[in-house]
Amino acid sequence: MDDGMQLQISLDKLPIKRLDSIEENGIERFPPDVDYDEKRLSLIRRIDFAWAVEKDEEKKKKQKSSKETSTPWQWQGMVENLQLAHQELSVIIDLINTVEANDAVTVASMTRPKLLPNEALSDLAVSAATKLQCYRHVGKYFKQSAKAFEQQVAREARFYGALIRLQQNWKVKRQRQAAIVPGNEGFTFDLFDNSYDQAAIIRSLSMSTVRVNHDAAGNLAINVSPDLCHSLQFGFVGAQSDDTRRKSNQNKSHFSGELNLGKTGEESLSDEECVKKTHSLLREVHEAIFNEQVFDLVNREAFNTVAGVSVTGIRENYLQLSLGQETSVYLTLVSNSQDHSTVEGELTDNAENAILPLESSDGMKREAKQNTSNKGQFSNSICYEIYIQQIFHEYIFGKGGDKPSSSGNRLSGIQAKDGSSLLGHFFKSLAHRIFSTKVLAELENVVCKVPYIQLISNPTWHSRASSWTLYMEVPQSILRGSQTKTSDYYEKNAVKRQFWTKVVVNDDCINVKAEGSPNVAGLFKGKIEETHSINKYNCNLADLPVIILQQVASQIINWLYQEAMMVGIKANRDFLCLSLELEQGETLGLVASVDPEDSEGCISWWLVMEDSFAEEQKLHMSITDGASEYRKFLGHLSLDLLYATLIDLVSLCSGGGSQ
Amino acid sequence: MDSQGQTTSLQRLQNVEKRIVKVLELAGGVMDELASPVGPRKDVVQNHCLEFMQLIKDIQVALRDEIKSACEYRPFEKCDYGSRIANEICHKKVEFIMSQLDAIKQTVDEYHVAV
Repeated sequence: MDDGMQLQISLDKLPIKRLDSIEENGIERFPPDVDYDEKRLSLIRRIDFAWAVEKDEEKKKKQKSSKETSTPWQWQGMVENLQLAHQELSVIIDLINTVEANDAVTVASMTRPKLLPNEALSDLAVSAATKLQCYRHVGKYFKQSAKAFEQQVAREARFYGALIRLQQNWKVKRQRQAAIVPGNEGFTFDLFDNSYDQAAIIRSLSMSTVRVNHDAAGNLAINVSPDLCHSLQFGFVGAQSDDTRRKSNQNKSHFSGELNLGKTGEESLSDEECVKKTHSLLREVHEAIFNEQVFDLVNREAFNTVAGVSVTGIRENYLQLSLGQETSVYLTLVSNSQDHSTVEGELTDNAENAILPLESSDGMKREAKQNTSNKGQFSNSICYEIYIQQIFHEYIFGKGGDKPSSSGNRLSGIQAKDGSSLLGHFFKSLAHRIFSTKVLAELENVVCKVPYIQLISNPTWHSRASSWTLYMEVPQSILRGSQTKTSDYYEKNAVKRQFWTKVVVNDDCINVKAEGSPNVAGLFKGKIEETHSINKYNCNLADLPVIILQQVASQIINWLYQEAMMVGIKANRDFLCLSLELEQGETLGLVASVDPEDSEGCISWWLVMEDSFAEEQKLHMSITDGASEYRKFLGHLSLDLLYATLIDLVSLCSGGGSQ
Repeated sequence: MDSQGQTTSLQRLQNVEKRIVKVLELAGGVMDELASPVGPRKDVVQNHCLEFMQLIKDIQVALRDEIKSACEYRPFEKCDYGSRIANEICHKKVEFIMSQLDAIKQTVDEYHVAV
């Protein structure tokens, strides 16, 4: 309270100063001593106004005293008002000072009650509760963050799980720049093999990198344009039915793919299905890249001079080659999403181009023959397609291992040579297959007409060699059991009952080997003759049926010859003739006639009688009936009938002998 | 936790993400323990903190290894794309042979019907 009193005293000084300045109208200020001013104030309040005026007159000059005298009434009113104002102001200032003093007292007193144990305890309780609340908030925040992050990890696990599974089969790369793009993590599938020849990149470079995206559900998705995926097709110009069948298959598979896409759109796609679908797409793209490379390599090497092959047509995705006058092939890349009608249009164009060479052929018969052989060729177009892919696959990937070890020049030389020979090898194989198909057609034609010949195919395991065997088995002899001595003698030397004729085709060269028969008569009579004869011919396709039929007929003659020798009849044989001698010096001949065009049996038989005496021959020739008596046509005979005929002839010879 | 036998980088990074989730859960657990009305249990808090620090260490080690291996990135030298194309070609061969066998069977059936 004493402090408050002191403050009040200091505050009371201020209005006194103001009063002095107001009274004198600002003309002068009194240099204030506090005690002096206070005394004056008390004196002014106690003494009347006139006395104050008198003192002023004493101090001041006369002029001033005159002014004061002129305004004493106005000043008196103002002085009274000012005094009232000062009183009010002093009261207000005292109130302000009191308030300030109270605040100071309050602040001072607020610190003191905290010293009480109750207040301290409550403060500690409040701060502890606040801390616990903060801990709970932080805990909730952490747990919510953990849950949110776990959900995010689970959502991304669908993407990354699929990517991890696909990474087991495909090369996955990441572009760091692309991280900014939303929905794209910057991952790409690299479908390019580093062991390739770098020059082969150009065509398939754009599609060898597949970008990986998120779809709306967070699943892994790749954007692959179906137009970029091509499949390789190899075929013969003019062929249509086989390709149509293959096209329908491809369109069917593609359509089923679209159905799957529709289903996946409707249903929520499971992770398993997503991975499978993506894997299938990547396989298609990868195979399409390989097809592009094969097509590029074939194009490049087709313009090197391959013997017997000329380029007759070329477009962006189409290459047409001519192997000869009769055969043209094409290699094309067909888009997997291409319409069926468009493909049909292209095939129709190719067919129209192919009609002209066929129309220029000579006769209907020849045309029909070509159609037959073409039919055989075209049905194997898929086979050739697979073969050309395999050849270039071995070339592309087989060089990868050699690349690091060999020098650049040597490598390029090897590649150039191998590349040229690869395509040459393929077309030589193709030409061989076409030619061997024709040979097979001829052989089948012969075998169908001759009932006692069988055709056997011999695998050669070589792409440019083919082999077949014509097999004939003759009936068993019925004379063997009748003569004990003869039977015992000939059992030691078993009579051959199987005959074969081998046909071997190397590239476009035909070799025919026909097995003969042991010469039993020579052994029987003690004469030394060749026991096993091989006939070998080089022939072309036109002569093949005649030669084969001649070989078969010769084998039949050999068989009949040894059967006659068993009976003991004197006989001679030529290539296609078996001659039996009669006692009178006449010769009875069984002659084979060969005609491939004969649809009834191809091999027909004649019975010919020759007379050694010139006179009788001249005599018989004069008579018209004599001709028929000397030559008689027996017709097409089976082996059994031939054997029966032989037995009859043998009986005739025996009868002649007895006579 | 998953085993340490993963081979791919993506799998290891996914494990790092799982560890981060675990770390956040541990932090939440510690906060809950501190906010317990009966007062925090020292052993529980200590175990949580130990596990927390261990996981942080594992995360740090894994990320450091991934960064190091990323710097040592190599092209795929043992890629089996060539073998895969060979498999596709063999698949085509098998399909072709099966179609040929089906044609033979059809011919045989037609022959039997004719006889």
